[in-house]
Amino acid sequence: MSNPLPAETWKERIEDISDFYCRNGRMPSYSEIGVLLGIKSKNAVSKVVDRLQKLGAVARDRRGRILPRSIARPLRVLGTVEAGFPSPAEEELVDTLSLDDFLVKNRQASFLLKVSGDSMSGAGIIAGDLVIVDRSRTPKNGDIVIAEVDGEWTMKYLKKTAAGVVLVPANPNYKPIKPKTELKVAGVVTAVVRKYG
Amino acid sequence: MANDQPITLSSWPRAILHVDVDAFFTSCEQAIHPELKGKPLITGKERGIVAAMSYEAKAKGVVRGMRIFEAKKACPRLIALPSDYETYSLFSVRMFDILRRFSPDVEEYSIDEAFVDLTGLRRIHHTGYPEISGQIQEAVQKELDLSVSCGVSLSKVLAKIGSKLNKPHGLVAIPGDRIHVVIAQVPVEKVWGIGPNTSALLRKFGVTTALDFARKNEAFVQKHLSKPYQIIWNELNGRAVLRVETEAKTEYQSISKTRTFTPPSGDKEFVFGQVSKNLENACIKARRYKLAARRLLIFLRRQDFKESGAEVKLDRPSAYPSELMGPARIGFESIYRPEALYRLTGIVLAGLVRRDEIQHTLFDEPAQIERMQRIYECIDNLSDRFGKHVVLHGSSLPANQQAQHEGDRGDVPQRKTELFKGETERQRLGMPVLKIKV
Repeated sequence: MSNPLPAETWKERIEDISDFYCRNGRMPSYSEIGVLLGIKSKNAVSKVVDRLQKLGAVARDRRGRILPRSIARPLRVLGTVEAGFPSPAEEELVDTLSLDDFLVKNRQASFLLKVSGDSMSGAGIIAGDLVIVDRSRTPKNGDIVIAEVDGEWTMKYLKKTAAGVVLVPANPNYKPIKPKTELKVAGVVTAVVRKYG
Repeated sequence: MANDQPITLSSWPRAILHVDVDAFFTSCEQAIHPELKGKPLITGKERGIVAAMSYEAKAKGVVRGMRIFEAKKACPRLIALPSDYETYSLFSVRMFDILRRFSPDVEEYSIDEAFVDLTGLRRIHHTGYPEISGQIQEAVQKELDLSVSCGVSLSKVLAKIGSKLNKPHGLVAIPGDRIHVVIAQVPVEKVWGIGPNTSALLRKFGVTTALDFARKNEAFVQKHLSKPYQIIWNELNGRAVLRVETEAKTEYQSISKTRTFTPPSGDKEFVFGQVSKNLENACIKARRYKLAARRLLIFLRRQDFKESGAEVKLDRPSAYPSELMGPARIGFESIYRPEALYRLTGIVLAGLVRRDEIQHTLFDEPAQIERMQRIYECIDNLSDRFGKHVVLHGSSLPANQQAQHEGDRGDVPQRKTELFKGETERQRLGMPVLKIKV
């Protein structure tokens, strides 16, 4: 089907619906779109929605109701193209990380653990600290790991030596552990969080 | 038709995976308390009833719904833990996120079950559907320490048969040319969606296995069975009818909230306080989904497990406790008996309609409605910021001031008692906490 309407008209239509969405916090119904755009026939409205769907502006749920897509974020999708210059602040902030993303790499595999011992005090991890443990990482030489050694749980540096794997504490009061029978690494410590006040 | 004839020759016209976590609640507990692995374990301690049990407890004869003291008789070494739904929900969300790394089409079927449409993804993952399923199973095991069972086949019904076949930690692939072999071992009543009545009816026609049913011809199915069973019949024959519904659930027929408390109480205002708190919780959920109820159901369960209930029709759909408290009180008064001791109350918001579709009547006062709407918008904003129930109805106070469960049962999950600095009883960090002493 050819589309006789100029691009300008589509832009206006998208803006009208977008305005409605911003004002009301929801998408208009088919009849409300009719009113907004001055179209009487529901069938014609449906065609408009088809077209908007193709443009990625809206989508339909399984009962045919209209869902917002790019229309919900007019500034991102239309603003940068239409308005020429984006706000400089917004542009500069695109490449910043939240503290969450900074501390947690694989969100699904990360767990919290409250430290109770002091065997890693030399590494700056003390009792009461919160460590973030990533279960998906393969432990490398020098990583701090949470591991079960011969039935006991511990947090230590993992050192791979020619003689095998050794768990090394960061506190002279503790001795390195050499697993006798079994070593199971539950995860790699990726961050420590301590909150004051 | 000979029974060794394949149902279809094309092996993978579609590939639907069903993922089911093995003993979900207790597996979450074992993931955060590794010392509990391999031990008989149940959750539900706070209610005095087995809500979920580990495979080790199941092996000793512990079943869901059993009273805990009975379960302990069957299994003296049984460890009972209070339910920690916050942790279970965190695990659940994470599992769905892991599945979405493999395919965008994930249906969150329940807290511990999902369907994943893998069709067409062989090229991206450079391997076959059974192998992709295996990778998914491995990822969930490694990252969440949860064991899942998988079934992958041509339709949802067949995928579900597959995941059930080899629990725990099973992985059953049923390509088209193997359907007839696998479903010949499955009794027809074990097929998803076929209940005792339908299976009894089918047995009258000599249908005992899922394969018998699949082999029936279309005329038979149309003559004797209604639409949902015709769908199952198609699905068993490898023709996918049911879509993997990827949309998050935003529609509810009804919303219900129940609370048990121990010891049982005969204090009327305390019991109504429980009703009131249920009502507030149900309304919070209804407002989150922009719904309003037309009917309200109240039920009470006595110490001897006898139940009574009442239904109240509302003049106008609402999700505001201030408007519903009056009707709730009326319903409550009609069933409350002063001589009885109660252990559970429940509220159901029914006849839900979308809030923006409410028809106001001639006698409604728009100003009043508007005011109510503004008040609850404020309350919901406050709750977002400071935690649920930061503002609550006066009638809920008796339920809020007293511990929900006293004595032995009264333990709350560690997640809620052992807080980190900066966490509050109301709001905690959104990550599961490993209970390992290091």
